[in-house]
Amino acid sequence: MKTLKTLYKTEIIMILREFSGVFFGVMLPVGLILLLGIIYGDKPAFEGASYTLMEQSVAAVLTIGICATGLMGIPITVSSYREKKLLKRLEISPVSPRTLIVVQFLSHMTIAVLSSFFVIFIAVIVFNYSMTGSKWQFLVAYLLVTFSTYSLGILIASLSKSVKMSNLLCSLIYFPTFFLSGGTIPYEIMPNGLKNVASIIPLTQGIKILKGVSLGNALSHYVSQSILLLFIGIICIIISIRTFRYDY
Amino acid sequence: MKTILKVEALNKWYKNLHAVNHLNLHVVEGQIFGMIGPNGAGKTTSIECILGMKSCDYESIELLNQPIKRLRKTSKRHKMLFSQIGVQFQNNFYPDLIKVNEMCKMMSSLYEDVYDWKELLVQFKIESKQNTLVSQLSGGQRQRLSVLLALINKPKLVFLDELTTGLDPQVRREVWMLLKKLNQKGLTIFLTSHFMDEVEYLCDEIVILNNGIVCEQGSPQEIVSKLNANNLETAYLSLIEEENKNENFKNTI
Repeated sequence: MKTLKTLYKTEIIMILREFSGVFFGVMLPVGLILLLGIIYGDKPAFEGASYTLMEQSVAAVLTIGICATGLMGIPITVSSYREKKLLKRLEISPVSPRTLIVVQFLSHMTIAVLSSFFVIFIAVIVFNYSMTGSKWQFLVAYLLVTFSTYSLGILIASLSKSVKMSNLLCSLIYFPTFFLSGGTIPYEIMPNGLKNVASIIPLTQGIKILKGVSLGNALSHYVSQSILLLFIGIICIIISIRTFRYDY
Repeated sequence: MKTILKVEALNKWYKNLHAVNHLNLHVVEGQIFGMIGPNGAGKTTSIECILGMKSCDYESIELLNQPIKRLRKTSKRHKMLFSQIGVQFQNNFYPDLIKVNEMCKMMSSLYEDVYDWKELLVQFKIESKQNTLVSQLSGGQRQRLSVLLALINKPKLVFLDELTTGLDPQVRREVWMLLKKLNQKGLTIFLTSHFMDEVEYLCDEIVILNNGIVCEQGSPQEIVSKLNANNLETAYLSLIEEENKNENFKNTI
């Protein structure tokens, strides 16, 4: 427990000091929600929609924090620790790799939750947002999306053979996810061809669930998408524990 | 006298290179044991094999009387064993933006029984650098921190790989004194070094490794007198020269 606490604290300090995680994970989504609010105010999502664009967007904007921490933060941190030989040093200490993965999950999730808190806070205080759907179900969906995204991140870290490769893989996965999954540009306004491409991205399914639940649908509406995310998460984590390496 | 490290018939291959060739070691509790040899002789590889960090062949390896064969990395036995062992590698292992005190706290948190790191910083004369980023330390300061961190868990056996590389003569001596003191309190030390004066001063027993093969073993005095040299440095140089000549001869025929 002492180990976990100290490693967690150290990791949080590293993330804050490094700052790019704070920028992409917290400041960017906060900026985006402000922009959306200022531009669209309480306009409906589309003509004749029963909900506003703000109501539709909040859930999606929250995933930017999850993505930035899970698909950039985690893999790049882990592979740089491997390249710096920190993992090699920990290999011959009493700490297990499981603890390391847990610390990565917890510390990055703290940043993501912080980001979500600010986004929701601004949406509620400044733009009178209130969630129509069940907050508990939304929380479950949020955790599910986080879990699958972070597992994918850990997998990238396990599979890449250097920090450079990890960076490349992160960019290859992060940027399409960032633009196409519906986190920044609403999925609904994409042309059909692009929609098909976007559907392959796991987070697209995650955002569908989050958006749907936040707008009042029950989580039970999205069984297949939820199972898919859970499945991706479990597979990725199993492969990454199996292929975990301390050293290149 | 109790054995603390026993290695029998350790072999390590890197593709076609026989990096460690039938290595046998026997380190007694309370000893300062030195492994010397040219760059690429297989010193670091030997340590990594002994600690189970590299796959290799061996008849038996016993660390603190525990066989490491089939020792699972997640097992309780592994945890117990490695909480009593300290290691300093040649490579630094510091995250980019970590400060000295954060690094000390982090390494302390991995173990149950630890020294007070603030006291160690004083002993290693880097207490004024507590709040400095590790990346901003001078080479010598960072090296001292590495040795310090290898000792933080009150190990029974510590591996120090090129422990004083990059230190100025004065600090080098201070580190020696400190190690001698810890050794007198019962710490067994396994070190590698390129400084023969260091090895001569510190070590009770040494092995000389060349191309993965042990070519000489004994106390520094024994080796010096056996090779009819003035000191360990001349003994070592003549031995390695001789070895390489033989190697070249073998290669030509």
